[in-house]
Amino acid sequence: MTAILTEPVGPSLEIDDLTVRFGGLVAVDGVSLVARGGTITGLIGPNGAGKTTTFNACTGIVQPTEGEIRFGGRRIDRMSSARRAQIGLGRTFQRMELWETMTVRENVQLGREAVHGGRRPWGQVRSSAAERADVRERADRALDRCGIRELEDAVAGDLSTGQGRLVELARAIAAGFPFLLLDEPSSGLDPKESAEFGEILAEVADRDGIGILLVEHDMTLVRACCTYIYVLEFGQLIHEGEAEAVLASDAVKTAYLGSEA
Amino acid sequence: MRDYLPFIVVGITTGSVYALAAVGLVLTFKTSGIFNFAHGAHAATAAYVFNVFRSDQGLPWPVAMGLTLVVVGVVGGLLLERMAHLLSGASVAARTAATVGLLVGLQQILVAVFGSATKTMPFFLPTGLFSIAGTNVRYEQLVVVVLVLGLVIGLYVFLNRTRVGVAMQAVVDDPDLVGLQGIDPAAVRRYAWIVGSCFASLSGTLLAPTIGLDAGILTLLVFFAFGAAAVGRFTSLPLTYVGGMAIGIGAEVIKKVIDGSSTFAQLPSTLPFLVLFVVLLVTPTRHLLERRSAQTRPQMPAHQFSPAAWRAVLAIGIPVSLILPHVVGTKVTLWTTGLVFVILFASLGLLVRTSGQISLAHMALAAVGSATMARCLGAGIPFPLAVLIGGLVTAPVGALVAIPAIRLSGIYLAIATFGFGLLAQRLLFGTIVMFGGETNSLAASRPEMFGLDTDVGYYYVVLVAAVASCAGVVLIRRSRLGHMLRGLSDSPRALDAHGANTNITRLLVFVLSSFLAGIAGGLYGPITGTASSANFDFSVSLVLVAVLVLAGRQPILSPVIAAFLLAVLPFYTDNEFILDYTNVAFGVGALVAAMFGGQPVLARLRGATRTLDRERSRRRHAVTPPSVVAEGVAL
Repeated sequence: MTAILTEPVGPSLEIDDLTVRFGGLVAVDGVSLVARGGTITGLIGPNGAGKTTTFNACTGIVQPTEGEIRFGGRRIDRMSSARRAQIGLGRTFQRMELWETMTVRENVQLGREAVHGGRRPWGQVRSSAAERADVRERADRALDRCGIRELEDAVAGDLSTGQGRLVELARAIAAGFPFLLLDEPSSGLDPKESAEFGEILAEVADRDGIGILLVEHDMTLVRACCTYIYVLEFGQLIHEGEAEAVLASDAVKTAYLGSEA
Repeated sequence: MRDYLPFIVVGITTGSVYALAAVGLVLTFKTSGIFNFAHGAHAATAAYVFNVFRSDQGLPWPVAMGLTLVVVGVVGGLLLERMAHLLSGASVAARTAATVGLLVGLQQILVAVFGSATKTMPFFLPTGLFSIAGTNVRYEQLVVVVLVLGLVIGLYVFLNRTRVGVAMQAVVDDPDLVGLQGIDPAAVRRYAWIVGSCFASLSGTLLAPTIGLDAGILTLLVFFAFGAAAVGRFTSLPLTYVGGMAIGIGAEVIKKVIDGSSTFAQLPSTLPFLVLFVVLLVTPTRHLLERRSAQTRPQMPAHQFSPAAWRAVLAIGIPVSLILPHVVGTKVTLWTTGLVFVILFASLGLLVRTSGQISLAHMALAAVGSATMARCLGAGIPFPLAVLIGGLVTAPVGALVAIPAIRLSGIYLAIATFGFGLLAQRLLFGTIVMFGGETNSLAASRPEMFGLDTDVGYYYVVLVAAVASCAGVVLIRRSRLGHMLRGLSDSPRALDAHGANTNITRLLVFVLSSFLAGIAGGLYGPITGTASSANFDFSVSLVLVAVLVLAGRQPILSPVIAAFLLAVLPFYTDNEFILDYTNVAFGVGALVAAMFGGQPVLARLRGATRTLDRERSRRRHAVTPPSVVAEGVAL
């Protein structure tokens, strides 16, 4: 049985003194942060600040040169990406990875079924009646949470980017991950869609107790939902604090938006 | 050493030709992302065309060669570039089926036009002799070696020293960036295809005088280039050249070492595929980059039948399949064969269509089932059990094929299974573990009870198996595994990100598909009474993939249509023209289907409006208006 099916909600993601070097280039330089369970933590910064590299170290695409990453107290930086998901760390993709030939409901349900399937060959072949009920019920709740119930029979490949982002989110919620890593979910969305997406994220954190690390470029979304924010520049953490304070600080304005702001 | 020298001389010559073909192959693969399985057929075509100009038209050979390079090389290259363009963004299945279809079609055209008998082709280069260390060398051999070396060095210098050459290498990584440099990426690809196509043409014409004009053998020899390309990791031209030479020399030296021993007779000709398979198994996957354009064409889901439509299909299908053997007269065994192919296509469809994995070795798996079943019968095991054991033994062999599937993705899996199919056929089919013996065939009798050993009786036996197999496929598709397989096909990364170990998923689908292929193989033999390796030639595996892609995406109906097209319909005529051109139609059909959406044209038309809507909606939502930026600045 995978941990995700049993563990209580609320583990935190901790990054401790993370350094990532590509050859001579230091992409991330001694970054430490804590993203608490049940809250939305923003990781912002200008292009090339090391946001994506930090994100990739969390999902397993890049290996840390130094430092460690812990989730719920367990070291994850050497785990495979499937293993990270099995212990409860979900993610979405900046370039959407929907199952395009399947309907929205099938997408959301498979999100949970894949969790049940996991590493067990027999678990991947067939499902028990209880599991099927669990899959349906969680999919229902996730579809409602993301407000895409009326789209459930649409084929995922036919959706707009905004709708697709919601399906990806619903899929990760249905899977039952206590913590989600979101990679620039606002890219491809207009400001109205970003704001709506932010409201849904806030609900996900408040009502479902899911922790979220949001790596984001777009201020509309960050402002709409983050409670705590870390700011990166040139691979280093330059600022952190409660969202309101950080967004208002001069240091961030200068670093993030250039001196003319 | 003295004794080896003549073999090494031959090896260097043939190795040069393989290297030439391989370099052309790698160049086009690098620049377009399309791995041209038809490269060998292209070479064979050039050899035949050269022979027409030279022998039939009586032109001097340099003129004939020039014309061949223009017609087959340049024009062929331009056509291939168009094909590659239409395939960019298509699924791996479609890209594989397209060039496999081209291979099947071209080869069959050559057979249909020029006949299947091997013709001799006189040497055109000077054949005078000179001596190196006591070994006679033909001037022709020297010319070939020097010419190829010159061409490869020339290409290398061109790629690394000229603007267009550098652009040619960059076009793979970022076509848009090349466009910004004022060089048209399409033009760059065109150059690459022309060069690749001319190299193929040249290799075909250079090989033909030594081995004769034979579409099959010439195509196969240029497959040797796949091994060389693997040595160059499908990227490095110098290493590819070295690989070609090594394979050429290696094969000849092995010939000398085994010295006519029949046990290892197949070894020289399987060396390139051993190399190919081993390289694909051991090369770190980061060196085997999937070369594809960034934009992937949206996949069309299979059109779902409504329950009413299903009832109608069953209402017609059940009585027709029951009455059929009583109305088709002596053709009944043809329909039985058709049913065997329904099982084969259903199992291949599960792999290719449902899970998005490619196998070009499906007949090799069926052969394992066939041989096992016949051996079981020989050991006195009753018929149903023998067929079942055939399937059960094939399943772990399928797991073996899944090993490259776990390591490799997309086109490399297709290439690896291609190598596996050829290796299995050449190294295993004839041995005692499979068909064995002098005739490469085993007795496979029908069940002797309730009159099931008659033609009509056996039809019903296979019908039951086919229906059970199709029902099995439907059940799998509806199960969790079915959902996982569809997910695997659409986005393995997303499946992985939700905690599913996709290696297990891949293994499972290969095992299940192989089991069904083994069952089909077991049922195949008793139709004629002998399980024979001749039924399971690797070329049939290629045709299977082509026809499957042609027949659409329905999990059950498509296999039925495909089996009918491949195994039944063509044999209702004695017309040689139709028989000759059936495979051409399949090949071309698969190519067209792949280029225009990887589905039948009719479904494409139905889907066209939907795709348009989707594009429009994407465009509407994809653009981030400048107001976002403005708002950000106001922060």
